[in-house]
Amino acid sequence: MPTASRHILHVDMDAFFASIEQRDNPDLIGKPVVVGGGDNRGVVAAASYEVREFGVRSAMPMREARRRCPDLICVRPQMGKYRTVSADIFTIFREFTPLIEGLSLDEAFLDVTASLSLFGSAADIARAIKKRVHDVTGLTASVGAAENKLVAKIASDLEKPDGLVLVPQDRVRQTLDPLAVQVIPGIGKQTLRRLHQADIRTIGDLRRAPAAALDAIFGRFAQRTRDRASGIDDRPVVSERGDKSISAEETFDTDLTARKILYKKLLQLTERTSGRLRAKSLTAGTVQLKIRQSDFTTCTRQRSLRPPSSGTDTIYHAARELLDVWLREHPDKSIRLLGVGGSNLAQSAQADLFGATPGGAGVDKLVDQIRNKFGSASVGRARSLDNDQIG
Amino acid sequence: MKLSAGREALLKPLQIVIGVVERRQTMPILANVLLVAQDGQLSITATDLEVELVASGEVEVETAGEVTVPGRKLLDICRALPENAPVSISQSGEKVLIRSGRSKFSLTTLPAAEFPSVEDISADEALELPQNTVQRLLDKTHFSMAQQDVRYYLNGLLIETGGKQLRAVATDGHRLALCQVTLDEGSALPEKQVIVPRKGVLELQRLLNGEGTLTMELGTNHIRMQLDGVRFTSKLIDGRFPEYDRVIPKDTSNELLADRALLRGALQRTSILSNEKYRGIRLLIRDGAVLLQAHNPEQEEAEDELEVEYSGEEIEIGFNVTYLLEALSAIDSEQVTLSVLDGNSSCLLRDPGNDDCKYVVMPMRL
Repeated sequence: MPTASRHILHVDMDAFFASIEQRDNPDLIGKPVVVGGGDNRGVVAAASYEVREFGVRSAMPMREARRRCPDLICVRPQMGKYRTVSADIFTIFREFTPLIEGLSLDEAFLDVTASLSLFGSAADIARAIKKRVHDVTGLTASVGAAENKLVAKIASDLEKPDGLVLVPQDRVRQTLDPLAVQVIPGIGKQTLRRLHQADIRTIGDLRRAPAAALDAIFGRFAQRTRDRASGIDDRPVVSERGDKSISAEETFDTDLTARKILYKKLLQLTERTSGRLRAKSLTAGTVQLKIRQSDFTTCTRQRSLRPPSSGTDTIYHAARELLDVWLREHPDKSIRLLGVGGSNLAQSAQADLFGATPGGAGVDKLVDQIRNKFGSASVGRARSLDNDQIG
Repeated sequence: MKLSAGREALLKPLQIVIGVVERRQTMPILANVLLVAQDGQLSITATDLEVELVASGEVEVETAGEVTVPGRKLLDICRALPENAPVSISQSGEKVLIRSGRSKFSLTTLPAAEFPSVEDISADEALELPQNTVQRLLDKTHFSMAQQDVRYYLNGLLIETGGKQLRAVATDGHRLALCQVTLDEGSALPEKQVIVPRKGVLELQRLLNGEGTLTMELGTNHIRMQLDGVRFTSKLIDGRFPEYDRVIPKDTSNELLADRALLRGALQRTSILSNEKYRGIRLLIRDGAVLLQAHNPEQEEAEDELEVEYSGEEIEIGFNVTYLLEALSAIDSEQVTLSVLDGNSSCLLRDPGNDDCKYVVMPMRL
């Protein structure tokens, strides 16, 4: 597949969880810190660079870690905090490119090919990202830059922590050849043992190995493995970010019990949710109803939509069914908040036969057009109007 | 109730009705079948409150009576007995005893009076129809019914009568199938439109074997058919079916004529590498040929080309390939015409020599 040359970055935070804990508790700076379950049956989720000197690695049983480093300080993980920092980091990534493939909370591929004209070279972008990440979070990241994901990922690991390694296309071989074979993703313990038996230890050995040897070890993946050893990798950066769900909710001025008013509010919320779905050409495969009672007890109910839809009437119908069931189960309870959401989102590519029927997508389309032009209060279904809006 | 019969006289009607007995019921009695013994007949009824089936077998009735017993257990017992074994069934207090040779079974019962069976469906008249006519109507359309759609009136098959015509229409909102049959004899049919729920359609298809006749009654809330000693009753879906006629393309001037088997083969091959979820396939229709293309998220690609008769404008259009394949499988003729105006309009597929069956498929943006 002949493709124009790409510029891919692999950004990997340095000892992410442990660094956050050290940042937030200066007593831990310079100390052998691990994040993980406290008792001896837990495993190490993250290890600071200080403790790595003792041979402690992530995924190692805590008992083993304590054996290697009796003075280690174990901190309980606070995933909520790590997620918040992660969100900040990904927000920074998005300043540079929309093509982001997140691998975990602290690691991502970025395709910056189309960003070069805006921000300079790939190296400039890598430096800018590192600086922004440090300014915003106080943490360091290591970045690898190359023509593809494989080489970028290998490169980011070469000068950790706080590294920046560029591997231009003409230096791929000389960079990879001396590295140990297990650096290539997908080469595990078993494969490694067999490679060593065949006296293949470096990526260079692997690249030059006779076909017969590779066939025996890798079977139908032999050619792909040789490609990897040569630093060839066509895999695109797949940005799977996209909305997971779209919803609208409202807390009422006074708690509601009257069915008629609840239906009206439900329809208003549905109009907002379905309008946003349509604006993004998405359909929802699942409809959620969120209900909060006066005493703040909150529950969500959901049902699937077949086929997935973004039609106001279809979503309202489903949400109302859910509300009716809830009302039957909770008679005389008053409702403080209602929310209508759609999830299981997909691009709506399939056209509808009855799209132009009255009350169907035809109306939705018209409503969307009018709202786009005159604002969201300009038009809506009569049923959704509050009484004081009439007259 | 007391009766005796050969194993087969019990097994056959049980096998016919058992499909209606749901594995998980909302009411305990729905796991049971109703046994009614009288006049040398044992009739067995099963229902899920939507579809009811009654089948009977010839038995020797010693004492007439009725009772309900667990349906699947009774079937399993009869099935497990040796072939042609004589079986006796008798009610004894709250139990039903089944004996055959040295085997004895005692089953729990529930009162027959509690069994929700449908008697009179208040139909105006009974139509006599050839079985194969009804079978054709269902076979040519059933696959386009919706499944658990919130538009509940699409989860079934529209049956329409009027004049000398009998018509079936199914649609899931993305594609539509229509088949109509003109009856050559008999008087004009009443003007009626009913929607038979999906489960009823599928059960009915199991019963039809293409030979003989059946009687069909359309009531206000039910449809009933009697054939080969079996009585099928289904509730109707209470709703308004969409005005299907409006979505069948009228302008069919831009037509493509293809060999049906070749087109099907090319679509099948190309579909292997289409997205498994959306099943999208692109057709490039141009002078004398159609180019088919598909690709999947793994960036694998398939391409095929087929010679066809076509001389209109070049059209690029995408479809869910499953919809095209199912329509092509339902068409009988060697050749098939596809009428399509442009890349955004629906496509009409049919037999070029016969307008009885029509298939409409909406395109997909690719």
